[in-house]
Amino acid sequence: MALQKTKKYKRKQYTFLDLMVFLFPMLIFLIILYGTLFWTIYVSFSDWKTITPNYQIVGFKWYQFIIAQPRFWVDVQNNLKWLILGVFPTVILAIFLAYLLELSPFPVVESYVRTLILYPVAMSFIVTGTIWSWMYEPNRGVFNTILREIGINSQLRFTTDPQTATYWLILIFIWQYLGFAVIITQSSFRTSELQEMIEAATVDGAGKLRILFSIVLPNIRSGLMVLVSLLLISTLKVFDIVYIVTFGGPGIQTDVLALNMWITTFQQRLFSAGAGLGVIIFLMAFILIIPYTVYALRKWFE
Amino acid sequence: MKSKNRTLQVIVFLTLIVLSLAYLLPIYVMVTTSLKTIEEINRGNYLSLSGNPQFSNYREVLYGSAQFRSHMLPRLINSCIISFSVTFLSALIGGLGGYYLSRTRTTFTRVLFVLVGIALYLPYQAVIIPLVIFMAKTKLALTYWGLIGAYLILNVPLASVLMGTFFLSIPRELEEAAEVDGASKIQTFFRVIMPISLPAYASVAIIVFTQVWNEFFLALSLSSPKTQTVQVVMAEAKGTTIVLYNLQMAAALIAVAIPLIFFLLLGRYFIRGILAGALKG
Repeated sequence: MALQKTKKYKRKQYTFLDLMVFLFPMLIFLIILYGTLFWTIYVSFSDWKTITPNYQIVGFKWYQFIIAQPRFWVDVQNNLKWLILGVFPTVILAIFLAYLLELSPFPVVESYVRTLILYPVAMSFIVTGTIWSWMYEPNRGVFNTILREIGINSQLRFTTDPQTATYWLILIFIWQYLGFAVIITQSSFRTSELQEMIEAATVDGAGKLRILFSIVLPNIRSGLMVLVSLLLISTLKVFDIVYIVTFGGPGIQTDVLALNMWITTFQQRLFSAGAGLGVIIFLMAFILIIPYTVYALRKWFE
Repeated sequence: MKSKNRTLQVIVFLTLIVLSLAYLLPIYVMVTTSLKTIEEINRGNYLSLSGNPQFSNYREVLYGSAQFRSHMLPRLINSCIISFSVTFLSALIGGLGGYYLSRTRTTFTRVLFVLVGIALYLPYQAVIIPLVIFMAKTKLALTYWGLIGAYLILNVPLASVLMGTFFLSIPRELEEAAEVDGASKIQTFFRVIMPISLPAYASVAIIVFTQVWNEFFLALSLSSPKTQTVQVVMAEAKGTTIVLYNLQMAAALIAVAIPLIFFLLLGRYFIRGILAGALKG
């Protein structure tokens, strides 16, 4: 392997032993990872529909099976709701909060807010889901009980209302990821170039909102792009919240692709169909992550 | 750009109230409920403190009882064994791999970097079937190695990128000096790079630990009764003890205790880890 160094000092080449230590362990895990990915793709084209593997190739049979099911289209709709409503409100709220923290005259406020909204990042969706399930419970749950106590007879059915259940689930996600989004947005603000531009604009007498829209936002585009990519991928993969709070119910109203994949594979034992759903989720994730990867590559090797 | 504008102060104040309500209410209700008796919960008044704190709820959740069968203590130990092993091995292997990725500039490295980058955010659904089959065939599913191995496959790429992001900011002169003195690359890494990167290792460790501790999909599909993790038993408990909210909340608190303590003590490293993931190392 030719490893050229164009530095003033010519560094040592990697010896075989070096490669074994630095590269080999990581490579092993990568090979297994991509091996399992291709194995999944292979399974999706085979005819495996019971507990015993059957690797006979049948082409797109199980993909046709998947898209012929109404459930799949409910999932696609719900996943789209997640992608849009899980990501954009979070980003807008994060920009608002991060900008407010920048403007706020009290440093105590900042450290308080950071800890306050970031602690859910350390918690699992299973735990958050358990807590929120109880808060949402229509009859004796926390929200409706408190509302009743202060004299509001709340008719909200939360996650048991087929029409709005998914939105209530998405709210849990926003609650959990807001701190994460604020941290990333805040760090985009903190470049010296941007701070200088803001100062110059302030001296010129520009208003706070004007500065936000014409100076801050255009200059944190790459930071926002990374944030949006990370949030998109998290909402696409959403599984835990739905599993724990509604398990796709009422009926299949809140079902998503990842949950459908799990049920198809491990409850219905239609392994080829499950693998097909896995491949579909992977392809969507792959498309969503391209901008992030390109940006990372450029940044890393600049 | 700090300012002392009146309207701004009002907005800040209102935002603080809304955020405090939204983020303190769930944890407040969780803690107070976990200490109540079921009769107390039936009376409503969720905002009141428990008149007679029931610390026995925690004992019941940890050791199990007739009404709470999924006792958590063995699962806590399982989660600890799995999460700490994966954290240690991912940081070690990821550190080595990340160093290689950050110090070579060939086409091979670029291809490798893209492969690692995709692996970073790979949906687990795309690899779960082969993993389950493989772990079942080799009987690894019955041991901790099944889940540890599965988590390593997905967390080594993450650790490599995070560690690499940190290594990129270390000046090359340091290593060059060591090499001029005759140290090999391996010696340089372990004697020069690793000691000055301990904060970076801490950041990566806390991120990987939290992620593995909180992971549910793989744990659900791969764990056998003996290796079941805290998250899986939580999900089970929610299904079977639907009305025992006090025990559910006690279990939830036990399940988040360890990562939450790490977060409160090592918040700085946690935030740096998140930022490295967003390519801002």
